[in-house]
Amino acid sequence: MMARALAVCRIVLGGLFIWAAVTKLPDVAAFAQDVANYRVIPAALVPILAAAVVGIELLAGIALVTGVMERPAAAVLAVLLAAFTGLLTQALLRGIDLRCGCFGGDERASWWTVVRDLVMLAAAVAVARGPSPARTNVTNPA
Amino acid sequence: MGILVRAVLLCFVGGVLGIAGNALSPHPARLGIPVHAAAESSDAACQDPRASVARVSVVEAKPLCIACTAAFVDARSAQEYAAGHITGAVHLAPGHPAGPLLPKLSAAPTVIVYDRDRDCAAADQVAVLLKSNGVRDVRVLTGAWPEWLAVGGPGESGTCALCTAGGQ
Repeated sequence: MMARALAVCRIVLGGLFIWAAVTKLPDVAAFAQDVANYRVIPAALVPILAAAVVGIELLAGIALVTGVMERPAAAVLAVLLAAFTGLLTQALLRGIDLRCGCFGGDERASWWTVVRDLVMLAAAVAVARGPSPARTNVTNPA
Repeated sequence: MGILVRAVLLCFVGGVLGIAGNALSPHPARLGIPVHAAAESSDAACQDPRASVARVSVVEAKPLCIACTAAFVDARSAQEYAAGHITGAVHLAPGHPAGPLLPKLSAAPTVIVYDRDRDCAAADQVAVLLKSNGVRDVRVLTGAWPEWLAVGGPGESGTCALCTAGGQ
């Protein structure tokens, strides 16, 4: 039951991050602007960091969906989600009015976005801490 | 290989993949050029290529305000509006009902929405709401309230008499 729940978390989370990366790829410049608007990352690092984040999201998403290196991928996404949550929270507390940059569109940052990130963070931590499929098969062949 | 080592490896490969993918993007991030927050760069203020609402600069909007040929909508908080706003502007923050203001705004040849932040997110949201309610020519003021003040645009203070039906 637990293994099944973790598998669902893994696939849903992986799919979400693949989607997040795919929506950003057509306009990485706009995503870089969204990152800059959080007013935390040094301006010189923003473009390279934005491009790298898109690639990491895509690769980690694919790893989760396919089950290849799923625990390291979940750990990476947990770190990313913790960072996103921190960035969003500081922006909202400072009263910065901005688009969240989450899925490439016009979505505005809000406390709902923070809650959504926390839910995904919990899922990522659960997958990162959970048993790998190989170990699951040994203890529970069914 | 430990989970940490594999996570670092995944980050490295993903980062390289992202930078390579950026080069293939129709709108790539320019890696060597610093990107500043829109609110900190007056040139880039509110110039979002994805914006679905037309823009108007403070230089273009100021004469429209003086000639009363455009209606202005303030999308900031009620407190900010009361402290000072564009002369004749009505108050409509995101999430508030537009109904009480629609007769006035629909009759105006042009409606210009502004907020406090130069990325125009709140103004965009209100502008989209007005457009969806049938207001035809809606634009968002680039540079927002700070730039309006900077060019000496006409302003006044006080609450919004027209907005009372919406509790604003």
